[in-house]
Amino acid sequence: MTSTSISDFYPGVADFARVGTASPVEEISRPSLSYWQDVWIRLKKNSRATISLYIVIALAVFTLLGPLFWQVDPFLQDLNQISQAPSLRKSATLVGAYKRWDGIVLSDFPVEPQEYMESVAAVTGLQTFETATTQQVRLIWDPLTGSAGYNIYRNHRLPEGFNDLGLPLGSTYGANEVSYEDRLSLESRTYYYSIVPTDGYDEYEVYTIIEVRPQMIITVSEAEGRGLISEAEEGNLGQEIRLEFHPFGTDYLGRDMLARLMEGARVSLFIGIVAPLIFVLFGVIYGGCAGYFGGTLDALLMRFADFVVALPFLLFMILFKIAFGIGPGESGIFPMLLALILLAWPATARLVRGQVLQIREQGYIEAAQLLGAKPQYLIFRHIIPNTMGVILVTLTFAVPSAIFTEAFLSFIGMGVAPPTPSWGSMCNEGVKTMLSHPHELIFPAAFISVTVLAFNLLGDGLTEALDSRMRSRE
Amino acid sequence: MLAYTLKRLLAGVITVWFIATATFIAMHMVPGDPLMNDKAVSAEIRKNLEQKYGLDKPVTEQYFIYLGNMLRGDFGISFTQQNRRVNDIIRDHFPVSATLGLLAIFFAATGGVLWGALTAIYRNRMPDIIIMFLVILGISVPSFVFAALGQLMLVNINSMLGYSLIPVAGWGTFAHMLMPSLVLGLGTMAFLTRLMRSSMLEVVNADYIKTARAKGLSPVRIFFRHQLRNAILPVITVLGPSIAAITTGGFVVELVFAIPGLGRYFVQAVQQLDYTVIMGTTVFYGAFLVFMVIIVDILYGFVDPRVRLE
Amino acid sequence: MSDHILEVENLSVEFSTYGGNVKAVRGVSFNVNRGQTLAIVGESGCGKSVTVQAIMGIIPMPPGRITGGSAKLNGHELLGLSSKEANKFRGIQIGMIFQDPMTSLNPTMTIGDQIAETLMVHRGKSHSQALKQAVDLLEKTHIPEARKRVKQYPFEFSGGMLQRAMIAQSLACKPSILIADEPTTALDVTIQAQILELMAELQRTENMSIILITHDLAVVARMADEVAVMYAGQIVETGSVDDIFYESSHPYTLGLKSAMPSNTGSREKKLTPINGSPPDLFSPPQGCGYFTRCPYAMRLCDKKQPINFVVRGKQNHRSRCWLQHGDAPEVAAIHQNNSGQSRAD
Repeated sequence: MTSTSISDFYPGVADFARVGTASPVEEISRPSLSYWQDVWIRLKKNSRATISLYIVIALAVFTLLGPLFWQVDPFLQDLNQISQAPSLRKSATLVGAYKRWDGIVLSDFPVEPQEYMESVAAVTGLQTFETATTQQVRLIWDPLTGSAGYNIYRNHRLPEGFNDLGLPLGSTYGANEVSYEDRLSLESRTYYYSIVPTDGYDEYEVYTIIEVRPQMIITVSEAEGRGLISEAEEGNLGQEIRLEFHPFGTDYLGRDMLARLMEGARVSLFIGIVAPLIFVLFGVIYGGCAGYFGGTLDALLMRFADFVVALPFLLFMILFKIAFGIGPGESGIFPMLLALILLAWPATARLVRGQVLQIREQGYIEAAQLLGAKPQYLIFRHIIPNTMGVILVTLTFAVPSAIFTEAFLSFIGMGVAPPTPSWGSMCNEGVKTMLSHPHELIFPAAFISVTVLAFNLLGDGLTEALDSRMRSRE
Repeated sequence: MLAYTLKRLLAGVITVWFIATATFIAMHMVPGDPLMNDKAVSAEIRKNLEQKYGLDKPVTEQYFIYLGNMLRGDFGISFTQQNRRVNDIIRDHFPVSATLGLLAIFFAATGGVLWGALTAIYRNRMPDIIIMFLVILGISVPSFVFAALGQLMLVNINSMLGYSLIPVAGWGTFAHMLMPSLVLGLGTMAFLTRLMRSSMLEVVNADYIKTARAKGLSPVRIFFRHQLRNAILPVITVLGPSIAAITTGGFVVELVFAIPGLGRYFVQAVQQLDYTVIMGTTVFYGAFLVFMVIIVDILYGFVDPRVRLE
Repeated sequence: MSDHILEVENLSVEFSTYGGNVKAVRGVSFNVNRGQTLAIVGESGCGKSVTVQAIMGIIPMPPGRITGGSAKLNGHELLGLSSKEANKFRGIQIGMIFQDPMTSLNPTMTIGDQIAETLMVHRGKSHSQALKQAVDLLEKTHIPEARKRVKQYPFEFSGGMLQRAMIAQSLACKPSILIADEPTTALDVTIQAQILELMAELQRTENMSIILITHDLAVVARMADEVAVMYAGQIVETGSVDDIFYESSHPYTLGLKSAMPSNTGSREKKLTPINGSPPDLFSPPQGCGYFTRCPYAMRLCDKKQPINFVVRGKQNHRSRCWLQHGDAPEVAAIHQNNSGQSRAD
């Protein structure tokens, strides 16, 4: 064994003086916190749970206060604005009604070449005729010797080669027919038009490209129909008109997505919050009774709960719908609520029963009983406060599952039906146009996911806060 | 073990009886005659049904006729499809749903165990953080959104390749089954991953792992022989309920991917209020789920000796 | 070859936690003699389990960390080995049993398989050979109907039987040292005696050394040849079992003894608890860890770590206490032979 060298240390006489050994009285140095204060502090330390809490608050604001700031009718259909992608505010120039254009057919140019040519040069002089607008794009070009007609193509991006010219719009027949008018669902974006000369049947492998960006316009009659201008303004052709603003785009009937999401949030969150509140409360009372009284009653109650768990939810949903006289294709918010409440409580009941049974065995209950506490006192003073944590966690996790159920039912067409929006029914509609207009699915799906995510993380945080509270007391 | 199995089976039979009875009562609580509610019932079907179910007889007698039919495994005739027996519908379409469900369970269980073990090993390090983030996402996104996104992905892959590598919808080959079952299993996989992770973390700190290390076993042997086997137990116990979740999810996935399964049929029946099909499939699904849970519980006994020998 | 089979020198272990680094073991040194029993005694949390787990290399790292020292088994260093190298002595030369036999065996493997596993891994035996040997081992630890018992699972065993099985498992490769970490704490008193007896018997027949970790002085008195008293991550007193019981020279050892009931003391004599609590090992005190609780504390004790003094010239009896310094005032209980206190059996 090592013996430490003490050569550098010589204790003096004073060092060996005895000191008092009054062992310090244990002091409580920190202020004592109540159970919920402590849980709250732990929850606040959990950043994920805190963010989730903010998200939940933001959702509540979005649902309750949103319609005050965004006063757009969620049911207003606008068939001119079907499936608009989300965009910033747009404006358009007011123009008169569409006027027919006959195009240009040169009379001094031969319709067909004298003889068939193996190859020709590309078309020259391709340009727009008048201003390109979302109403029409008019193209003209110089006649090409050797051709017997022209094919016109349109693409969203710059073509990479001859096989990438995009949408074939049409053809002209005759070398002297040197104009084309495109009116095919034009938007205010860049297009690449290509002209390919033909021999009347087949194309020559040359092409000419022009980049066109049509100007956003609106006709007087359309603007009036959409209520964008008053009659007095009819004459102001060329005026800039502000179009309806759809920050989240529109759905397949041209309804504003943002307004529908707010309206849908009311339905989804109503079911997602009211149903759990009621069935958790019922489960608590049911499970509490079973646990507190125990014995035969307990066995009987829990056996019944086991059977209820096995009951098919969808069937009862249908039956309630019929019982309330709601036909297929109509909204059944109330039957859905009822089915949820009647069938979802057993899980909570079982949990609370277990908790109560456990608490009943604790020493402090026995101690209170010995001191003469009445059942009422035991229940309200000891049992309920000690099960509160578990109940709160159950409630937090019940919300996302109820939202899921609503979404699922509405998605298969059993819950909320058109025209009433809910996030689930919006997904149901959005999935049909998913490939062409993904925003109609993505927005409601994202709202469901974020809500469920927030409640899940909040539940996790709460469980952790309560758990560590328990652990630190051991 | 035998007594346990018999007890569970008996409880299962009682539960199925309860479901059947509740279904019957519920159908009769509906105002009016269940057949009156649908205009589409033709006179011929109506006559057949009245005869079959004895709708002119008292309710108690009807109940026993109904139970008798169920016991014989006769679920009746479809309201909306003339002369098509519900039994035939189940026989034709259930195997498709079962294949889809089994594949989904397989993906969910293997994925859940694998990812869960991985996150536990890399606890609080990058792989853990990334996987747990995906898990939370997986739990929070509804299955129909996964289905839609999965389909969208296939469309994009196929259009990028220029040919159909994996079919976007339909049923038939293994390639058809791949995406739907993956999508269907995703939510359950996320849930199982979470469970496996916490179970692994508990096992890692268990005393018997310390013993195994003190015995001089290699880390690989400890992982496979001692940790994994014990950590997997809680995962197996929730497989039963998971089958129920996957069955319900299957309705939606079959709808989105146009798979001719019983789930899609059920949803259609629900939308058309085809009572006999609804009742028949409900009782069938109820019985299926009840017995699946029992089978899983019995299988669990083979893995956990403590249950086996009780 | 020295007669020390295991030499531990200046071992230090830290754990990093959210609250900071816990210095759980602070420079521990001791030797284990061939064929003898060393008891490490101390209250819970003093670092005795961590010490042996560090030697075995089974401290979870992280959060644990061996910050210094050495442990030599027959002259071979054990600390800082890779798990592959460490597995050449773990379970072969050193066996270990734990406090709670109920949780220390894998619940999903048969007892036989768990014992056989060691033999299969270290001795390369076949499964059937290893199982056969497992039966012999169970018989050696006096488990009745061993042939039937090997096929059973831990939950079918009682606590005492499980501890016997644990011992059988640790003996599989005939180790030269058995580390027993509180082997009887979780057991009934009657079972405790049986297990201790079994260990003593096996020590004789197998000629092994035992490191016995306990907080029970009665167990120490019964089993130990040498004793190390641990407090707050340090060994405060070492010596033969007689030195510790009859000539204890550290106030902590004295405190432990007077807190222990005995069957010969007079009825009026009250048990004296040690007041206060051990120091916070997040920031160990500058001086002696026992300062705040010591009835003989001096000004010096708070300032300076005591040296490991030789007690009364006996090289094997050491005490980490300033009272052993030549200039320190005499304390009757320490400086006179305290054989008035009986050895508890």
